[in-house]
Amino acid sequence: MLQRDIFINEITKKMTKDKKIYFLSADFGAASLDILREKFPKNFIHCGISEQAMLDIASGLALEKNKVFVYAMAPFLSLRAIEQVKCGPGLMNLPICLISVGIGLGYADAGPTHYANEDFSCFRSIVGSSIYTPSDNETTKLIAKDLLKKPKFSYVRLDRDVQTDLNPKVKNDDLKKGYKIFGKINQNKIAIISHGKIFHNCIDAFKKDKSKFIFINLFRSKPFPEKLVKEVRNIKHFLVVDEQTPSGDLSSCVYEGFREKKFFPIINSKSLPERYFFENGGREYLLNKFGLSSKDIFLAAKSLR
Amino acid sequence: MQVNDLVNLAKKYRREIFEKFLETKQGHPGSIFSMMDIAVSLYYGGFLRFDKSNKKFLDKILISKGHATSALYPILRDFGVISKNEWNKWGKSSSQLRIFGNTSIPGIDITSGSLGHCIGAGAGMAISYKNSNQDKKVYVVISEGELYEGSTWEALLFAKHRELANLTVIIDINSLIILGNTSDCLNLDPIKQKISGLGVETYEVDGHDINQLINTLQITDDSKKFTCILANTVKGKGSSIMENKKNWHYWNPMNKNEISITRKELK
Repeated sequence: MLQRDIFINEITKKMTKDKKIYFLSADFGAASLDILREKFPKNFIHCGISEQAMLDIASGLALEKNKVFVYAMAPFLSLRAIEQVKCGPGLMNLPICLISVGIGLGYADAGPTHYANEDFSCFRSIVGSSIYTPSDNETTKLIAKDLLKKPKFSYVRLDRDVQTDLNPKVKNDDLKKGYKIFGKINQNKIAIISHGKIFHNCIDAFKKDKSKFIFINLFRSKPFPEKLVKEVRNIKHFLVVDEQTPSGDLSSCVYEGFREKKFFPIINSKSLPERYFFENGGREYLLNKFGLSSKDIFLAAKSLR
Repeated sequence: MQVNDLVNLAKKYRREIFEKFLETKQGHPGSIFSMMDIAVSLYYGGFLRFDKSNKKFLDKILISKGHATSALYPILRDFGVISKNEWNKWGKSSSQLRIFGNTSIPGIDITSGSLGHCIGAGAGMAISYKNSNQDKKVYVVISEGELYEGSTWEALLFAKHRELANLTVIIDINSLIILGNTSDCLNLDPIKQKISGLGVETYEVDGHDINQLINTLQITDDSKKFTCILANTVKGKGSSIMENKKNWHYWNPMNKNEISITRKELK
């Protein structure tokens, strides 16, 4: 099942009892959304292909104490409407949840207008936002449940494609922390931090040689998890992998999060190059070409030893 | 109150705000003076219903042209929503009152300043009231300059499609933006045809004629459709020094003679 369907199904379930939940779409669909629309026509609002107006409408609804979810394709929801995000949920601290689908190069081969390689840094800069990038359905479900229970200004970054389940699963305790560590912590190990789909490329890279590495799935990157530094303070080398262009990507976020706790290990970054991507060939082809294949990640991590 | 009383009240508020400008030396007199009669008509014409016991308005007013939100401060003071003490403090760092309105200020329903946001926000509120069967109305005052923002048209289209009868947009058309006349900078005319062309029930009034304003607001209140009022106004209304002068978008220093002339004209 797609992450978006997992998320929307949770909203639909909750709508049965809660008439204050609104779901807004800028003409972006999902199989699960067809059900939501049919069941709750009053609480589904089609805003047209108008991300900016959608965010303003969401702000008006949230000012009247409604729980509001807005939904669109990642590049448009994030950058097209970012000033509306600042002036609405940002400035007025409104509990609006933005569900953004197709992060990174998810919409390959649509081309650079449809890629979201800058959304993470843009949203990170909006004051008061929480950012989630789940890597699998279980984590997506837990995030959806939590945001329905305790609505807040949040940006949820979902993948376009079906994601493999993480093993072991992310649980409620992990959700509270904002991350899950895979592997046993040891000061001689290298820690690989990532989120979203690209986290799977990291895990896949080390299938045969997990002993020297730990993997941190940082599904909530903002607010930066309080407890993470305490757990990894003995580790000297980190590799941060992100399907974003470099300025303000996950490695910047990790560096800033560590700096807050006066923790200054060596942080290496592996992300997309500072350019737009016009090439055809599909997402995996692009990830391979630009150094984010499992093999590239493996070599980058090994070189740190 | 009689219409004449409201005309005098609008004058009084312009005068009081002018005195504040002299103290604070900042703000947007041109835009505030152009919309003062609209604000007085809404508050004193019975359109924004007031809950005396809670000192709260039941209906909403969103000033999308956020640089003119302070037009509401003396009105809110007279209704007891903003305290006299707060009004007196305006201009001091401890004051809650700002040049641009925000939701931390009593009686201000939205944080605005960036243009083109409030029709959408008003539409969101209107849908919420409609779906929850709340008999509440939302008035959104925008400047004609906001017609340059794409989000304004997105939201107009949306409000019309949903036929939000509990939402009325009032466009303060004072024909000036910071760099000059809208007709010279980037022509917006014919505004009425453009908005009514969306199918919106549109009315045109003299934005300084309180009688006309109240009568038209009554029509829009009774309407079962989403409505829009085009209020033709004069930027800097009431002061010959400011009227129709683009540089009076912002406050400018005045000499003693100019102050004396303006005080007389606003009496």
